[in-house]
Amino acid sequence: MNEKKPRIDRRQLLKGSLALGLGLLTPRGLWANDSSTVTLPFERGRRPLVALPQKRPLMVLATRPPQLETPFHIFNENIFTPNDAFFVRWHLANIPQEIDVNTFRLTIRGRVNKILSLSLEELKTQFDQVEIAAVCQCAGNSRGFFQPRVPGVQWGNGAMGNANWKGIRLRDLLHKAGLADDALQIRFDGLDQPVAQVTPDFRKSLQLDDALQKEVLIAHSMNGESLPMLNGFPLRLVVPGWYATYWVKMLNDIEVLNQADQTFWTTDAYRLPADPCHCVKPGEALTSTVPMGKTPVRSFMTNVEEGQTLPGGKPFTIKGIAFDQGYGIDRVLFSMDGGQQWQSARLGKDYGDFSFRPWEAKFIPEPGHAYALQSLAINRIGETQRFDARWNPHGYLRNVIETVNIHGT
Amino acid sequence: MKRVCMFLMVLLCVVGFGWGLPVNADDRKQLSIIHLPSDPISFQPGPGSDLASRYCLMCHSAEYVYMQPPHPREQWVEIVGKMKTSFGCPISNEDMAPLADYLVSQNSLQPSPSAPHVQADGEKETPGRSATQASDPQQGESLYKRHCLTCHGPGGKGDGPIGPVLVPPAANLTLIGKQSDKSILDTLRKGRPGTAMPAWEHDLNPQELNQLLSFLRTLTP
Repeated sequence: MNEKKPRIDRRQLLKGSLALGLGLLTPRGLWANDSSTVTLPFERGRRPLVALPQKRPLMVLATRPPQLETPFHIFNENIFTPNDAFFVRWHLANIPQEIDVNTFRLTIRGRVNKILSLSLEELKTQFDQVEIAAVCQCAGNSRGFFQPRVPGVQWGNGAMGNANWKGIRLRDLLHKAGLADDALQIRFDGLDQPVAQVTPDFRKSLQLDDALQKEVLIAHSMNGESLPMLNGFPLRLVVPGWYATYWVKMLNDIEVLNQADQTFWTTDAYRLPADPCHCVKPGEALTSTVPMGKTPVRSFMTNVEEGQTLPGGKPFTIKGIAFDQGYGIDRVLFSMDGGQQWQSARLGKDYGDFSFRPWEAKFIPEPGHAYALQSLAINRIGETQRFDARWNPHGYLRNVIETVNIHGT
Repeated sequence: MKRVCMFLMVLLCVVGFGWGLPVNADDRKQLSIIHLPSDPISFQPGPGSDLASRYCLMCHSAEYVYMQPPHPREQWVEIVGKMKTSFGCPISNEDMAPLADYLVSQNSLQPSPSAPHVQADGEKETPGRSATQASDPQQGESLYKRHCLTCHGPGGKGDGPIGPVLVPPAANLTLIGKQSDKSILDTLRKGRPGTAMPAWEHDLNPQELNQLLSFLRTLTP
């Protein structure tokens, strides 16, 4: 249980990292001289904070295609992650940098009775407008904490965000197009393109039953505003409870299939070990796999950092968030002794089953004592976080109980 | 048509450094525009760095390598293989091992990792630089063969081994005669966002960029 939590060490939040000789990963050129950094507690965890278009300074894991992580303190300050702080993850580098709203069309084709080609205006005026609060979390969120380490985008815990998504129900659209009797899966494609023709275009598919759930939306707005370009303007698929790989950005093409999707991003990428744990022993090869699915229950403490000191003898309120795949959070438990004893945390406002749920717990640190703080969320069907960290070769599905070590002074 | 072009130019000026909020142009065009930055870091010069620049920078910035934890050699070999077989990176068979060796030299436990370090402009070690008396175009030609040929082809027509499969395809450099030196140098320095053309300003010093420009001028009729 020595898992460390990423922290933003404000003492290390350095201005002018170039001048200070922090060579590794300090970008030259565009922003070398005025970028602050955040250091995540794993090897090669230093990240420059840089503002990309329509974004505040975020942790840059990569520039092209952009991979941006939300600094963790944002989750303490907001239950709904601001659009300009929302994490960004793209697979392919040919991302449109200019979109003409007037000529943009969303096409629904394949095994349908009528092919549809709809403008944004038509989507906003001819269908019920629905809003839902939902967490969007990258399948590889927290990958950097895997031990042993695994290849992939090296996220801390900030490849997730909670937003109010507004748009139309996918099923309303599918019903308007009329599904053929043999419709089996729905495949989604966005405007992003690979750099080389031979690279598989990024597309994802859902089983028909999953696609027809009432909470699955085609969103045109996020927290009351248009989506930022880097979060999928003008439309993105919203699949509450499911990992973000299904939330296709810049969505412009929906294809109804009558057979299982055989394209790369479904058959080869985003696959989990098939066993119920979705884990293997480090180094063990995968024998059979299943597609990525829904997000297991997680919780975080948001107002304490690893190694922090708190004034002894004074009550302190730990704040945090919890979420699951959409059953809703039933309880959050809090421990100050590494999980030997637990007390109930107080749940905050309920924004819906797919949203972050705020929680808080009070405790009084004693002077000179060390505490291993932990939180454990349980959802309404009794699922809990894992007590030991699962391992798989792609670094997916982390939901172990997180620990933050602090001292009373 | 002219009016639309004018509008676009004005728009580009307006959003140039504003990083692109959605902009209402007029009734006909309603544009949302952003400008994504070019790559901030490059591969550390060393044996095989030209391979990494040639093959890896097409699709992603060098940060992808340096953000990784130190991987054992087998892991890098597997990654290079995956880039070739799953993602179609046209790495020739003979380049596979040297490319993996370079990645190991950059980010592995053995030998000890040598991370790219930041140097002031102009202080960089540049393999192409030497004290020979060769003219700019000759120096430029050797730089071209090293860095550009794979995509743009021996005669610059965009017909290198990789060029035609790119989206958009590699540019035909025999058609850039009318571009100003500044425009060509800008492209060399910053790359072309939205294409596979990477920024070379970190790999090539100003002298080398000028030598390359001189050679490119010999390609146009």
